[in-house]
Amino acid sequence: MHALPQLIVSTILLGGIYALIAVGLTLIFGVMRVVNFAHGEFLMLGMYLAFWAFALLRLDPYVTLVLSLPLIFGFGWLSYRMVMRPVIHASHNVQIFTTVGLSIALQNVALVLWSADSQFVRTGYYTVVVRLGTAVLNLAQLIAFAVAVLTTAALFAFMRWSYTGKVMRATAQDRAVASLMGIDTGRVFALTWAVGVTCVGVAGVLLAPIYPVYPTVGLQFVLIAYVAVVLGGLGDMAGALLASLIVAAVEVIGSYVIGTAWKEVLYLLLFIGILVVRPAGLFGQRGAEAIGT
Amino acid sequence: MKGTWPAVVFFSLAAFGPVVVRDAFLLDGLILILLWGATAAAWNVAGGYAGQVSLGHAAFFGLGAYSAALLGTRWGLSPWIGLLVGAVLATAFGFVLGFLSNRLRGPYFVLATIAFSQVLLIVGSRWRGFTAGSEGIPVPFRPGFWTLGIADKRVWVVIVLALAVFLYLIELYLERSRRGYQLAAVREDEDAALSLGVPALRLKVAAIAASAALTAVSGALWAQYVGFVDPFYVFSVDLSIRFALAAILGGIGTPLGPFLGATLITTLETYLRASFGGIGAGLVGIYLIIYGAALVVMMRFAPQGLVPWIGERLRRRPVAGPAS
Repeated sequence: MHALPQLIVSTILLGGIYALIAVGLTLIFGVMRVVNFAHGEFLMLGMYLAFWAFALLRLDPYVTLVLSLPLIFGFGWLSYRMVMRPVIHASHNVQIFTTVGLSIALQNVALVLWSADSQFVRTGYYTVVVRLGTAVLNLAQLIAFAVAVLTTAALFAFMRWSYTGKVMRATAQDRAVASLMGIDTGRVFALTWAVGVTCVGVAGVLLAPIYPVYPTVGLQFVLIAYVAVVLGGLGDMAGALLASLIVAAVEVIGSYVIGTAWKEVLYLLLFIGILVVRPAGLFGQRGAEAIGT
Repeated sequence: MKGTWPAVVFFSLAAFGPVVVRDAFLLDGLILILLWGATAAAWNVAGGYAGQVSLGHAAFFGLGAYSAALLGTRWGLSPWIGLLVGAVLATAFGFVLGFLSNRLRGPYFVLATIAFSQVLLIVGSRWRGFTAGSEGIPVPFRPGFWTLGIADKRVWVVIVLALAVFLYLIELYLERSRRGYQLAAVREDEDAALSLGVPALRLKVAAIAASAALTAVSGALWAQYVGFVDPFYVFSVDLSIRFALAAILGGIGTPLGPFLGATLITTLETYLRASFGGIGAGLVGIYLIIYGAALVVMMRFAPQGLVPWIGERLRRRPVAGPAS
């Protein structure tokens, strides 16, 4: 049982990052009813942004993080205007394939710009570790966790208490009625999309000092985010947060017990299991998945 | 039959290909067009006619490819038996997925199919003892028709053309038969169809299982033709997207659409690979950027696909004449 503290610490650190990826996804789904299949590609772009700033301008990823916030948000807004706005009232299939198309295009923009090789952001503190009792953790992981938790908390507070957040929640509940109340739902969708993209972009910048980046890196993370989002109930932000921790625990404990090679199978089976047994997620409304909303 | 002349032209052209063309490169292109067209048509049975959009069909394709390759390398069995085993396995998984589709709609179903293909990807790439793991399996070349060791590309054209025509006829059946109408009713409004006594679940499950089995058949033939099975290719989400894309581009839920879509995609890809290979292999990505952007544009302006889009324009002219 001497490994227990390490397992707990690793779970929490990993869960924090997954949560930041998952809340953006679930926010977009909750308000817009769109599953963003290009979500992983925004994560990938965030990672490359950190890599580029580091390689060309010698900027530390955490400096990049602050500087790039408006850039990521602007890119999210632009991608909404150009790609998502025309199909926002279209059928599920049209929306799914629009985001799939966006994902293919972004992946290959990265392929042309940066090649298929794995790139690394090797900061000076790459090997610095922090000791916490008997547990050992990487400094970059700790910072990523802290920023991820702060961002997620800020998003929660924004949704809960700000007027704009209230407007977004109203649109999520019933877009027709929200529209009748004078809410400009088009702007709400644009804002939602941009905020969701910003969350995952920030996660990307934070992950850059920890993981290598390559054009299809998004898939492995976004699959985890899908698991977390469905487990927590599509559209449910608090659920996504808790589910991220559960998924991280499955991954950490799984790799400890049966080895890293098979850990993905565990959460994918967990995913299929949830979809079969309780597709609405832990806290979601029963039956939502059968209406397909 | 009415309205099938474009298909007759298409398949006749493909059949005359090997008579006129001797160039291995062009014949290879033709084989791939027919094979990808057939696979997209198999996807279309579930995604188009039953309305169950899947982004995990590579799972079935890979099952077919692995069955043919493994039975051949491990037990020396004929790839035809492998093809059959792959189809049976895919049918079994298709049944499971079909029953799931009753509980999961829209995005939920798509996510479940992706997860399913990822599980097979991990099994294929990590189960070293059985599948040879991430190195993949070279499929041995054993000359003869029974072992599908055929060097002559013209024979391959005939084999894949037979598969393609078979799939076209299945789609035509779904388009024109009573079963097909019932399936369309389930797709458009399941509750209304149920209230009219249509066995919705049975039809959907059957369509998905058939789609899975046919995809596996394509996979088995593909493995024999290409001669190498790589788990990261045959089980990839990219491949699943490719099947769906060809069907959507050509016209989802139309019999000829998948073949038209596959023709466009394969031609563009082969051409760009040939012109950019060697010097700037990274530039192949440009083709995929166009591909992604085209999909976005297509979804906006002609989400029904090319075949209905062209059909609409052809119909409009003669009607406008006498009416005005």
